[in-house]
Amino acid sequence: MIRFQGLNKWFGSALHVLKDINLDVAKGEVVVVCGPSGSGKSTLIRCVNGLEPFQEGKLVVDGTDLSAKNAALRELRMEVGFVFQQFNLYPHKTALENVTLAPIHVRGLSKAEATERGKALLAKVGLADRMNNYPSQLSGGQQQRVAIARSLCMQPKIMLFDEPTSALDPEMINEVLDVMVSLAKEGMTMMVVTHEMGFARKVAHRVVFMDQGAIVESGEPASFFGNPTHDRTRDFLSKVLHH
Amino acid sequence: MLGNLNIRVIADYFPALWQGFLNTLMLSGLGFAGAMILGIIACALTIQPLRWLRAPAIAYVDCIRATPLLAQLYFLYFGLPRLGILLPEIVIGIIALALNSGAYVAEIIRSGILAIPRGQFEASMSSGFTYLQRMRFIILPQAIRPTISPLIGQAIVLVKDSSLLSLISVVELARVGQQIALDRFMPVEGLAATAAGFLIIYYLLKALAGFWSRFDRVPGRS
Repeated sequence: MIRFQGLNKWFGSALHVLKDINLDVAKGEVVVVCGPSGSGKSTLIRCVNGLEPFQEGKLVVDGTDLSAKNAALRELRMEVGFVFQQFNLYPHKTALENVTLAPIHVRGLSKAEATERGKALLAKVGLADRMNNYPSQLSGGQQQRVAIARSLCMQPKIMLFDEPTSALDPEMINEVLDVMVSLAKEGMTMMVVTHEMGFARKVAHRVVFMDQGAIVESGEPASFFGNPTHDRTRDFLSKVLHH
Repeated sequence: MLGNLNIRVIADYFPALWQGFLNTLMLSGLGFAGAMILGIIACALTIQPLRWLRAPAIAYVDCIRATPLLAQLYFLYFGLPRLGILLPEIVIGIIALALNSGAYVAEIIRSGILAIPRGQFEASMSSGFTYLQRMRFIILPQAIRPTISPLIGQAIVLVKDSSLLSLISVVELARVGQQIALDRFMPVEGLAATAAGFLIIYYLLKALAGFWSRFDRVPGRS
């Protein structure tokens, strides 16, 4: 579904942010990407829907070759949902309008169809009673759940999450994670950048650890957490797990 | 000086002043409508990525902002006939006002768009909206709002600028004022009457700005 082959990216000429990335994500797989800040994990996930260009190597997502000059980015983005750390809801639209805008204008659904689908999804993320609220009237956790519903309403094949809980107050993290867990259990293909190791342990099929722009280690959660092979992974895990 | 203002002259000329007032309103209204259209187009071109579309829009904004309106007005007034384009003075005047204010409108709207957080562009891009859809549904509705007050400010400038059209013999408020000065040799009465007309329009626009700021509420924000 997602295949990185020898991908390299630089910011400017000096800053080598992604180094020789090779990674396959199969259909239905949930891959968690973790690592210290500045390790390139956000940049990596942003490459998948073309928000970040790259200079070398190959990246194929759902059959679309992103290294091609005229890659059909818009068509690809219709199939790839993206959830941001800062939610990025449209502040001038209600929760329901946020969710239905793209299905109506990008997918071409009728307003009635989109509304029906949007209401069902907002109910699914536990916001049936907040549909007509504007983002500023919602808590961070509620906003992020609207953002997830917004992506899902396009019925994407892949969902990308870029630190979806990092901007949230601690008591709101679980309401967002619960939605993500149920999504994973339904078989959605997901790439999740997160520090929530509990989530990784629970639902990830694979955990990828990045440091300084390179993938250092990857493995199933049991072996990744139980028995990490690299010093840097061990060091990182000791910092995020024991406090 | 104002104590012995000859009110009768102003009363005599009231029909002409009224006509001038209406003409100033009409010239300014059409000029500003044109400026909004030109400004939105120019702004859209300056912020889109294709260089060959961007360059002419930037050149337009720069040329207008760098030169006086009077020069632009004469340039059109004398230049267009040489290209074989013969238009009534009043049309040339409206075009000049629209071209002139359009550049400023473009910059005002651009500043509104640049103030929109990057995440809004990324989120709308990630949902698969086309460039035009992003602008229409997500960016412009948010960007226009904070630009309303500066746009009304620009409209006020344009109304005053329209007095320059008297120089290409378009009949508007300032022209009627000059007429009073020339016919009756009473420049103070003429100018006072003109100024009163401009003040009225200014207060109308100011009331509009006040009305806007009182009733403008970002949905969902108290």
